[in-house]
Amino acid sequence: MGLCCLLFFFSCDSRKAAAPSTAEFHTVTDDLGRKVELPVEPRRIMALAPSMTEMLFAVADTATIVGRTQNCDYPAAALTKPVVNNYPMDYEKLLSLKPDVVFATEGIISMEVAAQVQKMGIPIYFQAYDSVTDILRGIRNLGFLLNRREKGQAVADSLQAWLNQLAADSARGTRPRVLAITWKDPIYVYGRNTLFTDKLRYAGGQNAVTEVFAQPYPALTREYILKMNPDLIIGGSFDQMEKTFFSLYPELRRIKAYQQKRIFDVTDDLMSRPSPRVVEGIAELKAVLQ
Amino acid sequence: MRKALPILLGLLVLLTLGLFLGLKVGSLDTSYATVLDAIFEYDAQNATHYSIIHLRLPRLLLAFLTGASLAFSGYLMQALVNNALADPYLLGTASGASLGASFSFFLLTDLTFMGLYLPPFFALVGSFAVTLVVVLLGSRRGQLVPSQMLLVGVALSSLLTAVVSLIMFLSDSESQLKSVVFWSMGGFEKADWSNLGYPAVALAAGLVLFFFLQRHLSVLLLGADRAETLGVDVRLIRWIMLGAVSVVTGFAVAFSGPVGFVGLMVPHFTRALLGTTNRFNLIACALGGGLFLVVCDLISRWIYPPAGMPVGIVTSFFGVPFFVYLLRRKNYRFS
Repeated sequence: MGLCCLLFFFSCDSRKAAAPSTAEFHTVTDDLGRKVELPVEPRRIMALAPSMTEMLFAVADTATIVGRTQNCDYPAAALTKPVVNNYPMDYEKLLSLKPDVVFATEGIISMEVAAQVQKMGIPIYFQAYDSVTDILRGIRNLGFLLNRREKGQAVADSLQAWLNQLAADSARGTRPRVLAITWKDPIYVYGRNTLFTDKLRYAGGQNAVTEVFAQPYPALTREYILKMNPDLIIGGSFDQMEKTFFSLYPELRRIKAYQQKRIFDVTDDLMSRPSPRVVEGIAELKAVLQ
Repeated sequence: MRKALPILLGLLVLLTLGLFLGLKVGSLDTSYATVLDAIFEYDAQNATHYSIIHLRLPRLLLAFLTGASLAFSGYLMQALVNNALADPYLLGTASGASLGASFSFFLLTDLTFMGLYLPPFFALVGSFAVTLVVVLLGSRRGQLVPSQMLLVGVALSSLLTAVVSLIMFLSDSESQLKSVVFWSMGGFEKADWSNLGYPAVALAAGLVLFFFLQRHLSVLLLGADRAETLGVDVRLIRWIMLGAVSVVTGFAVAFSGPVGFVGLMVPHFTRALLGTTNRFNLIACALGGGLFLVVCDLISRWIYPPAGMPVGIVTSFFGVPFFVYLLRRKNYRFS
């Protein structure tokens, strides 16, 4: 079902991009509370983050997508678009593509860059997500902004149905405490206030980090991890982690996840990108939890 | 000796208190009784005992050794170039170590070899190689020229910093970039009993050697010419100082990353306490530097639990105001 959904989302429209719109504009408020003036039907769009490029390919008429960043590698069709570096931001290249609007994700593009893009006369619209359902809301929102409400609604609805099915299966049984390592030296992990916590809820687990830190991805000490004693670790296969993590921190071989060899690798992009593939990521998490 | 003894004892008492308090602070709730139990009746199955002995104690000892090494080296460097602004990194040690570590992150796909974590060893090679270049360029006909060495050190450090920046700029992945940035912040979290031996032996050897050469250091502060007339083999003593500084600093930086300010500040603090020529200056300096970093590490973990903020930030925040106060005191003189 997942594969069918994705094929459906990323199917391309054949219409060619029209010339920059001179049609009507409307003022909308983005997820950061900024007022942005956008064409009612943007004809030239692009995203400044890989997750947002995935969102656009799921909802937009793909012929209207005029570029991608150097990190945008999904879906495959994105690779055919011209590249605009987003770090450091290549303003001239962006300007040369003449987008009607660019879309960004909170935390990936700084406000300083946003101000500069706006100053060049290109409206920039931010989305922010605190939960999985926020991403679905973002998809519907893009449908509205791109004047493709039906497509946005259809994508969001089918993802919601898949999500409901995963959640129903996960309601039973105990929920293993999962520690997801994002960086090994020093040890950085997916904190409580990240999407990962919500994704685990649907997948049938729980985040081993119960404390909320100021940083969404906090640095932890070995002692803190010993105290948590997680049931399962995500960050690489057992052999990889043995070589690159536990050899560096041999003291952590005492934890339950290591003793029971419940250490797994998952697809990086599915873990980190708040995109329409979020539900596929949850399905992958669910598979390793079982 | 009469003046030094109470100060040395005071530093030792404070250090013991700092270490004991440090053994109590951690993620697992710990009482002082548990700390004593872990030391005298260690139970390997007890998670708190294990944390105290295998995580907290090595971390504290690495903080102590790093602080002591940098303060010791700073004292020697200030005497070597007869300049109050000198610190151990003038020889390019820190930038060389950063370059070595950055190369390992940039070039190696696997950072471990036979269970050994390679970046500290790359850092060590980098620091020694750069020190050697600084010394070669800073000497003429086998004789060190301190002012020339100082300038070469500063210039080469700038060049190496640019190379590290270039490496960061050329990094094709976020992970390489992060590795270089995290390394440059310094820290003690990876402390392990197995890597404490190198800095400990280097520091102990340096302290013993210079305990007997302390008189020469004091004379050297009068200037090279006067030291020569007083019978000091300036050329030889400078080479010995240089060797000690590069080895002791190299080992400290390799395992903890570059921690700033300790090597500059603590020697001045020691001289303010004991005077310029006291024969126990270097021991007091090492104890003071070690104590300072142990306290800074505790503060960093207390402010920003559990991992603590980079210790270099804390050393500057707490050290600079005190340093300024010290320099404003009328009765303090460098030499």
